[in-house]
Formats: sequence, structure tokens, C-alpha cells
Amino acid sequence: MSKLVDLITNTWTLAVLCVVLALAAGFVETGTVQMWSFVAINILLAQSINLLTGITGQISLGHAGFFAIGAYASALLMKGAGLPLPVSVVVAAAISAGAGYLLSIPAGRVREFYLAMMSLAFGLIVYELAREWRGLTGGVMGVRGVPSAQIGTLSLFGWVLDSAWYFRILLLSLIGTMIAFRNFVKSHYGRAFYAVHVSEIAAGTLGVSQAATKRAAYALSGGIAGLAGGFYAHLVGYLTPESFGLMRSVEILVMSIVGGLGSLTGQVLGAIVFTYLPQRLQAFSDYQFMAYGLILIFVFTLLPNGLAGLLKTRTRYSKFDQLGGIGNASPAVALTQRHSDKAASHGPLIRVEQVTMEFSGLRALSGVSLDLQPSCITALVGPNGSGKSTLVNVISGLYKPTSGRILFKGKDIGGQPSHRIAAAGITRTFQDPRNVPSFTVRENILMGANRLYVHGPLAAALNTPHAKAEEREMLGRVEALMATAGLTHHAEDIIGDLPYGIQRLAEVARALASDPELLLLDEPAAGLSEHEAERLVQLIRMAADHGVAVLVIDHHMDFLARLVNDVVVFEAGEVIYRGDMDGMRSNQAVIEAYLGKEEVSHA
Amino acid sequence: MDFLIQMIASGLSVGAVYALVGLGLNLTFWTTRVLNFGQGSVLMAGAMITAVLVARGCNVFLAVALSLVVSALILWVIEFVGVRPMLRIRGSMGWVVSTLGAGIFLQGSASWLFGTQAVAFPDVLFKSSDTIELLGAYISVQYIAVFVISVVIVGLMELFLRRSTWGYGVRAVAHDRELAALMGIPVRRVVVGSFLVSGLLAGAAGVLVAQVSGTVDPNFGLHLLILSFVATVVGGMGSAVGSLVGGLTLGVIEKLVGGYVSPAAAEMVAFVLLVAVLTIRPQGLFGKADTVKV
Amino acid sequence: MLEVRDLNVAYGAVEAIRGLSLVAHPGHITALIGANGAGKSSLMRAISGITRPRAGQILLDGRDITRLEPHQRARLGLAHAMEGRRILHQHTVEENLITAWHFRKAAGSYHAARDAVYAHFPILGERSHAKAGTLSGGQQQMLILSMATLHKPRFVMLDEPSLGLAPIIVSQIFEFIKGYCGEGERVVLVSEQMASLALKVADFGYVLKHGKVVFEGDREHLCAGGLADLSGAYLGGTGAH
Repeated sequence: MSKLVDLITNTWTLAVLCVVLALAAGFVETGTVQMWSFVAINILLAQSINLLTGITGQISLGHAGFFAIGAYASALLMKGAGLPLPVSVVVAAAISAGAGYLLSIPAGRVREFYLAMMSLAFGLIVYELAREWRGLTGGVMGVRGVPSAQIGTLSLFGWVLDSAWYFRILLLSLIGTMIAFRNFVKSHYGRAFYAVHVSEIAAGTLGVSQAATKRAAYALSGGIAGLAGGFYAHLVGYLTPESFGLMRSVEILVMSIVGGLGSLTGQVLGAIVFTYLPQRLQAFSDYQFMAYGLILIFVFTLLPNGLAGLLKTRTRYSKFDQLGGIGNASPAVALTQRHSDKAASHGPLIRVEQVTMEFSGLRALSGVSLDLQPSCITALVGPNGSGKSTLVNVISGLYKPTSGRILFKGKDIGGQPSHRIAAAGITRTFQDPRNVPSFTVRENILMGANRLYVHGPLAAALNTPHAKAEEREMLGRVEALMATAGLTHHAEDIIGDLPYGIQRLAEVARALASDPELLLLDEPAAGLSEHEAERLVQLIRMAADHGVAVLVIDHHMDFLARLVNDVVVFEAGEVIYRGDMDGMRSNQAVIEAYLGKEEVSHA
Repeated sequence: MDFLIQMIASGLSVGAVYALVGLGLNLTFWTTRVLNFGQGSVLMAGAMITAVLVARGCNVFLAVALSLVVSALILWVIEFVGVRPMLRIRGSMGWVVSTLGAGIFLQGSASWLFGTQAVAFPDVLFKSSDTIELLGAYISVQYIAVFVISVVIVGLMELFLRRSTWGYGVRAVAHDRELAALMGIPVRRVVVGSFLVSGLLAGAAGVLVAQVSGTVDPNFGLHLLILSFVATVVGGMGSAVGSLVGGLTLGVIEKLVGGYVSPAAAEMVAFVLLVAVLTIRPQGLFGKADTVKV
Repeated sequence: MLEVRDLNVAYGAVEAIRGLSLVAHPGHITALIGANGAGKSSLMRAISGITRPRAGQILLDGRDITRLEPHQRARLGLAHAMEGRRILHQHTVEENLITAWHFRKAAGSYHAARDAVYAHFPILGERSHAKAGTLSGGQQQMLILSMATLHKPRFVMLDEPSLGLAPIIVSQIFEFIKGYCGEGERVVLVSEQMASLALKVADFGYVLKHGKVVFEGDREHLCAGGLADLSGAYLGGTGAH
């Protein structure tokens, strides 16, 4: 089965298929070519909602709104202003992208079912506008007489386009869009979208701004749907609001979910199935909405990963395959060697000064001061609720400290947003691993390197030599990290299927892939086997050897004993001890903090 | 002046129904953290079944009773096939899609069974021509009846939730499922019960709103769902009184805009309010802000 | 008698309890001692049915309850006060007690039980119409204890009852627990991070580490030879198992 899929999705097979279709368009009936055009438009729509809902995780129940904006814009621009086809569809796509950008401002602030409700409302607003703004849209009567290939009124620079040529132009645009889209999705941008999907908090700690990422996703998704709308307008020749109601939005959603959210191949399959099914199956057409309803109810139960999951094809979110591997990687490229010449350094890497953190009157940290030096591994221990994780959250920008300063390389970073702090070189992990479960180990670790990329979205979409070189360099880092972590043989495994310990190791490797200067680890050894803990120790030591300052929260004292240079003990939001492990074990205050006061005095 | 009073009266009457729908949405939201996107179609089903049964010569009260039972059963099925299996999926995507699907299915079924045309809704409460004079304006008695019945049902539900043992049970499940189970509360039964009652409320609301609008068609639920959601969010999702205030306010604004500007503008009011409210308070007005869980 | 046999609990791929067995006898307070993440809460959650164990058995007086729903176990007289002061914050003190009473089978009247609570903790009576969320930490813990023991269950589990409370309140709470256990043939299981606190009231203790029992014994045994071992269980180094 998978061999068959490989054969079909092979670049050459697809290229031959496209050429055959383009040629055949001139010899088959007009109705057939029309159908092919509809398939192409539906593929664009499915990819568009896939980007927003499948990849970025922002559910859209009003996608027909973007489709409508594109269709009306292109129709009116050509009919009213006489713009030629390429200009009118591109401008229509741009207008629709603008609508997406605007929608992202309110939509970016809500999530879950609030977002679902808002997107539903967006679709209905556009639909109502199309019905009521008679001066522009012609109201319920719609826009008639749009130049169209079907009735031979569409011309391009004086050359009348028939259905076959229109299909060829559409096919070419589709191929171009798909290739650029695929390159884009497989770049660090695609991974950033997915990071926002899985955990907005974790995305921030990768240096990804969730607000900016969502705006980009909405604009891009709106643009692709608008492009589909523009081509639709000149395919059918007339527009009425009824083509853009709730049912169209549902249809787009059904295509994408049945195809398989997150999979590029799946979208093509979904679009083909739901273009032909109503045509071929009269019964399906009669009961179309009942069928769509049933599909939506049961699809996640029966076909959780869609047709793509059924065929066991998955979209890869790195260019590893495209680049044909990464060549030779030596461990030296894993991390930048930072000189930790302590004599020459100007004070500590990070200095926490009198930081206090209060939550509605409850004091989690009270006047904590702490210095961390490059190349030094420090343990942070203390009983439950003593404020250890709170300190890490304050440093990494998830909480804004109530008072006090945090100086990173002499600059106060207290209260800055987490993606800014991550971009400055402070990387953290969480108590529960925040990997993307459907990514491979390699893709997950590569996500960590996001902050290091310099190439822009256009370079990513066009796969410029610079973009390729950068991706290859980052993949080299990942390879070296996997070797140290002992994950090389898991590189191509889906991380969600792996044992917990491997997932945790991968998360620490991901944190190191960002080439940090300060690494904050929140209980990295929890749930690790002896062997895995040993790998973890090696990873952390390697970081320290390269000049990274490391702060480790953990409860496993035996694990910490093999790892750290010094220990900080917290009790009730205050530092009660700082020194080495042996000193801690015999320290009265520490023993009291753990075991209680009286027992010690009696003993 | 007369016109203004008539608009306010009809606004209060539909607004009370929004509150009723909102209460149904709330009830299942409390027990499962699921918002039923198919609730609008359940309203439609309740009204449609009543209308069709009466048209075929069925007794009005029997027809209403039957449609309430069917509405409750629909929600029970939705819980069974569309909600419970989806709670395993992280986030809300699963149940948003499945409950929306249930709504679409109901809508499609109604179109198939009864056609897509609007069906005239019979006079269940009084006659549409009955009016009484209030401050010089003639107000339909039906409006008043719909308002009174909705407010009474909301009040009774509030009383049930605040004063009865099972009400305590529902609120305990809403607050902390695990704690509720440890207190000996049969959580499953409370959840199923909340869906059944939510269905009853939706069926009743469907009948009441159809009484005001005079007709029912397969598409009539979706706008009501969004309007009721807005009413609930504006009023605060935690309390029945809140959704009553939210519903009445929204109903009056909607009718005033409809009367003085245009009916199309009235349709937009809800959407604009929805976007505005959610933008100003992203977590909605559902009470407290979500604390960031790290 | 509360008995746990070869219990295994896992969350996804993380094993929280690995083949743990223990026995808690009537008339005695049994302590579960261990650091963060040792598995104390997971064990209690499995016993009360909130978490489904992967393997093993849980018996109350010889009756296997492993397959029962949590509310069924509650009705058999098993009470569990979870960590983190779980109460109905939006409900008043009185409503919390009513809810805790009505869904469990108990002899006697609610009013008598409630009055007994208010007699024992007068502050709860004074604040009976206050929202439970507005109570102080100590008052909340009193309410939690009262809710757990309202219908006089035979089996009571208390997860970290002393956490974050002032010493005076802690001793008050432990007095209450001692008294409750002594009233009848009751099985009380208390988890504590603070070993010394636990050993002030407990007759018997189990020390947990990584989801296993590493050390067990009665109070004398734990107090005498065990301090070094306990310290090891927390801080590593000498005496660690």
C-alpha cells in the first residue's frame, strides 16, 4: 500500500500526470474539464483551511467567507475595472489575505470554541454582506455576466480562453502554489505554525511569537482561499450569495478533515473525493447535507487522521528528504563553543536581583537573588510549592515579576514576552514534555533551532540556495545532538509513539538545538530509566562544556549529585541554602525544610 | 412612541427565549465543558415537529409534548455519539466538529422530510391577533405569553440549580468532576441528565420562538444559536440571571435596530457584538480568566 | 482493613506506581511518606477510583473494589480528601456539607451531622454562609476534613492535610484525625511529605520512592533507626535505597 502511495506521490509521476491532464483537456468533453477545474479549486480551498486549522490549529467554520471575498473581488475587478485575469485573481487573493489579517486581530485573542463561534460568525457576516450590499454584490440576484471561460467571454490579452486553456492556467497556478506552499510548510515557518498549534506557551519558549504566527497563518490561508475564489468566479461566470453560505464552509471543512488535517497529500485526496462523490453518486447528492453531518460526527472516531492516515502517508515538516540528507556532521557543530574564561568575564551570565512574585496576594517568591555563571550546572531543589518552577517561569518570561530585576548579560529582561527572551538565548523545558506528538524526533529537535534561522518566508517558499544551506546546517546540529543523546536510531520515529524517557531526552535535545546561553530544565529526569538518565547527564555536560549556564530543577538527588556543581535550596519562596551537595545533606535548615522541625531537634 | 414600545416588547419576548436557549447551552457546558454547536438545529426540530404534527391534525399540547420528548432524546444521542467519544481528543476541535455535524445532519434531515420551505407555525398560545393595550400601544398577547413562560422556566431552573440536591450535584460536577465523584455523585448520570434537560429547554425555546416568528424552516436554528451564545457570553456563562439580562438586552437592541435601521442590520448586530465582546474579553465573560497553566 | 496488592498505575508512558502493596489496619493511622512525585497521590487516587490502575487489586475488608466507579466506592464508606484543598469554592460552607452528605448513604440525619461539625469547628459554624473559596487555608482544611468524615466512613484517606498550614492549625487537624480514628474501628491513611509530622500521629508508616515502598515499619522503628534512611529517601546520598 505505502509503495503504491509512494509511487503516486513521486514527483515524476505527478509531473507526468499533470502534463497528461493538461494535454487531455483539449480532447475531452467540456463538462469533464469543468470538473477538473473544480477539483483544482477545491484542492486550493482544502489546502487553505488545512494551513489554518490543520497546521496552525485555529479552527475555521467560516472559510467560505474568504472564498466569497476572493470570488466577488476578482469578478468585480474584471467586470468593473477591466483588469486582466492574472491581475484580478492576484489582487483578489491579496484582498482576501487582508481580510484574513484583519480577522486575525480579534480571532488571535480567542481560542477553542470561542474561536469556532467567531469564525462561524465571520462566514455568516460575509454571507449577509453579499446578500445585503446590493450596490456592490447585486444582493440575492448576484453578479451576472462575469467574464467566464465556460461561455467564451473570458479573454487574456486579446486571446479568448476556452475551458481547456482555462484549466491549463488553473493547473499551472495550482502547481506553483502547491510547490511554494510545500516548501514553506517544510521550513521553520511551517514548524512555527505547528508549534503554536500544539502549545502556545511552548511556542513562545522556542522564540516563536504566537500573535505574529497566527496573523501570518490567517493572512496566508485567506490569500489561498481568495485565489481559489477568483478562479471560481471566472469558471462559473455568475456569483450568488447562496454559493458561499454555511454549507460551503462545512464542505470545505469536510474535505480537509476527511483528507487528513496536517497532511498536504490528504487535502488533494479529500478535494478529489468530495468533488466527484456528489457527481457520481446521485444518492449522495440528494442527501448531501445529511451525509456531511454524519461525516462530521463520526470522522474523528472512525478516521482520526483522515484518508492520509489510512494510506499511511504523512507530511514531513523538514527538508531532510528534499536535501537528500545532510552529508557529514561532526559533533562539533551541535553547539557554539562559547569561551567561558571566567577571569575575563564581566560578572555572571544572569543575575536575579530581589525578585518577588505574588499571585493575588499569595507570595510564591520573596526577594530571591541568584547568580548563574557560564559553564556551571546549578541544581534548584526544595519541597513542593517552594517556588522553583515559579522562578523558571519568571526568568523565561511566562510570568512578569511583581518586583525585582533579572539581568541577562547586564540587560534587564524581567517582564519581557517569552518569545523575546527565548530569542535572546534563554531556553527552557517543561515538566511535561511539549513536543509535537505527530512529528518525528528529528523534526521535533529541529523545531528548537527556530530562533537561529535568518532566511525569510519568500526564500523558504522558493527554496533558495541560502534557505537550503541554512536548513542543512540546522539539520547537522540536530544530527550531532541526536548522536549525543543516543536518539539517532529514533530519528525517523513519530515521537508520540515512543517511550516517555525518549520523549524527555528529545525535549532536552530540542532545547539545546536553540544553541542557548542559559538552559533552564524543569524536572528533566522525571520518569527516565537509569540508561536514559545517563544520556541526559551527557547532554547537559556537553552543554556546560560549551559554555552554557544550566539550571536544573529536580527531586532526584542521586541524579543531581552526579551532575551539578552547586545546589540552591528553596523553601517558601526564599533561598535557604547555596553550596555543594554534601553541605546540603548536613544542613539543618535543609533537613528541617524536608522532614519538619521537631523530629530533627528530638533526634 | 407606539412603535418603540412594540419593538421593546417583541425584543423582550425574543430576548427571554435567547436566555432560555442560553441556559440549555450552559447546562451541558457546566457538566462537560462542551458547547453544543448543534443546539440551534434542536430548536428547529422542536418547532418543526410541533408545526408538522399540528398541521396533520394532532392536538396542540400533545404535539408540543412530543416535540419536547424528541428534543431531549436528540440531545441524549448527541451526548452519546458526538460528545463522549470526543472528550478523549485534546482541545475542542473534536466536539466542535461533531456537534456541528449533528446540527447539520438534523438540518439536512428536516429539509429532506419537510422540504426547505418555511412552514407556518400554529397558534399554540392565544391567537396571533390577540392584543392588549399597554401605554397606548397594542402588544401581541403571544409576545407577553412567550416572555412570561421563558422567564418562569429560567427562574425555575435557577431555583432547581440553587436549592435542590440534584442542583447541588450539577454544580459540583461543573466545579470539579473528581471531587464530585468522591462525594458519591454519579457523574455519568448527572451528565446525561443535563443533556436531557438541555434538550427539553431547547425544544421549549424552539416552540416559543417559532410562536413569535410565525414560521419555521430548516435553517432557522443557526442564528438563534449565535444570538443565544452572544447573550450568554454577555451575561456571563455562570449564571441563569446573567443570561436573562444578556438575552433581554440583546433582544431589545436587535429589535430596535431592526425597526429603526433595517432588518439586515439587526442580523449583523449579533455578529458584531460577538466579535466585540470576545475581542474585549477574550475568555468571554464566562467568569474568571483562565489561569495560565504551565 | 484496606489492602492494596501489586498495584501498577501509569499515566500514558509514565509509571507512577510500580507493583506496590500495602495494608492499613482498622484503629490505626497509616502514613504514606515520601518526596514529591514519589507516588503518594497516585496511590490514593487509584484507591478511590479517580485513576484506573493498570494492574493490581484494591480490597476493602476483603471485598475487591478495583472495578467500581468512584461514586460507588464513596457509597461503600471510602472517603478521600485530595491534595490541593479541593472544595466547591463557589458554594457556601453549608452547601459544601449538604453536597457531601446527600449523595452518600449514611445513617442518621444531616442536621445532627452538621451540628457535630460546627460543634467541633465553631469557626465553620460562624462562617456557614460564606463562600468556601473565601475561607482561610486552615478553615478550608477543616471543612475538607469535615466533608470527608461527615457520614462517618470507615475508610478515610487524607492527602497532605498539613500542606501550607501554620503549626498550630496542623496540630489541631492531627488531633481531629487521631480522635476520628480512635472513635471506632476506622482505617485512616494519611500522606505526608514532612516525615516528622506524619510520625507524630501515625502508628505505622510506608516510605515511598519512585512509586515503590522502600521502607516500612511502626512508629518506633521509623523514629529510631529510620531518620537517616528517611533523610536518604529525600536528599539522596547515604542511606538511599
